[in-house]
Amino acid sequence: MRKNDGDMEIALEVPQPRLRAVPSDPAPPDDSPSDAELLARVGERDREAFEILYGRYVRSVFGLALRRLGDRGHAEDAVQEAFTAIWRSASTYRPERGAAGGWLYTVARNAIVDRLRRNGPSADAELPELASLEPGPAQQAEQSDVAWRVHRALEELQPRERQVIELAYWSGMSQSEVAEYLHLPLGTVKTRTRSGLARLAAVLEGEL
Amino acid sequence: MSREPNLNDLIGDEATGAERQQLQNVHEMLLEAGPPPELSDTLEAGPNLGMTLGQQQRQRKVKRRAMLLLAAAIAVFAVFVAGYASRSTGGGGPHALITQQFTGTKLVPQAQGTLQVWNSQDAGTNWPMTLSVVGLPTNSYYDVYLVRNGKPWGACGTFRVGGSNESPVTVTLSAPYTIHSGDTWVVTRPGRGGSEPGQTVLKPVNA
Repeated sequence: MRKNDGDMEIALEVPQPRLRAVPSDPAPPDDSPSDAELLARVGERDREAFEILYGRYVRSVFGLALRRLGDRGHAEDAVQEAFTAIWRSASTYRPERGAAGGWLYTVARNAIVDRLRRNGPSADAELPELASLEPGPAQQAEQSDVAWRVHRALEELQPRERQVIELAYWSGMSQSEVAEYLHLPLGTVKTRTRSGLARLAAVLEGEL
Repeated sequence: MSREPNLNDLIGDEATGAERQQLQNVHEMLLEAGPPPELSDTLEAGPNLGMTLGQQQRQRKVKRRAMLLLAAAIAVFAVFVAGYASRSTGGGGPHALITQQFTGTKLVPQAQGTLQVWNSQDAGTNWPMTLSVVGLPTNSYYDVYLVRNGKPWGACGTFRVGGSNESPVTVTLSAPYTIHSGDTWVVTRPGRGGSEPGQTVLKPVNA
């Protein structure tokens, strides 16, 4: 069964949120290479750098593809094509022309648009003909951009911070329920949430 | 059903001024962004070799097409030989009653396939089918539908194409229906909700 109704699923099956494994020890202080450094290494065919970059961006790329294509199978194909394009064209990235995140967004978006075109008119035919209250193209683009940046920034959090943020925002649980679920004092959950939000703000401001 | 989190509930009222505004901005962005998508096991596993071989694959496009054609020919030949051999054995052995060749739609023009419907002792309720396909996008699921009077009439099963679309994939399915003259089959992507056919990727030759 495909899972396009993630919110409903989370709400009904708490606590089964889409959490990633949290290591027992927090991640060490961040001295990892920047996206631009990784892109430069990928341009020299460094597979390890490519894997790191993939880990940082796969959720953003998949989220973007899912928003545009509306189908998990097509979106997975688009992710494959986007990262193939990133591997192929990383050497053309020039840091002086803009941030690496923006370059990656453009490459991924182009791959997704190509996939959309290849799906052809039959894909459009699946769209309802009735007037919709859904956001228009411009608003959708803005939402996609925000989602891209936020999902990318989440990857920069320590796993424990990311966990409380994801639970607080998308599990439907209250902070007290999060604390109970994680077997943590409520104060610790609030502290981690605040530090996670502050870290996200710093990442987003630095990157944008 | 899920309630929208309130920043005061999340962090209390300690942060003030510029810091508060900064956290409020991030809070609103998180609400707008929504949750990160859940990754499939395939995506979670990390980049695959195909991503880093893309360039070489493009350079070898002509060769790859030739390989696909060869693989398709082998698949068709194998199905033919299997059918011929089973007929040759005579007696109660199964033999193909229907053989249908597939060609890719414009979604996957390079794809091809062959479907054979076999006789069996309980024919009339379950018709075993052997489907061989090549050239379909990998790591995806597909459905087989019986087509009657030009419309998808009944599902005959689901299969998955794994790591390489250059190797023929052969699966055994069943048509649990009474088959009529003129019935054909198509292969589709899974449809929305899983109950209706999605986009057709393989159609009968000459359809």
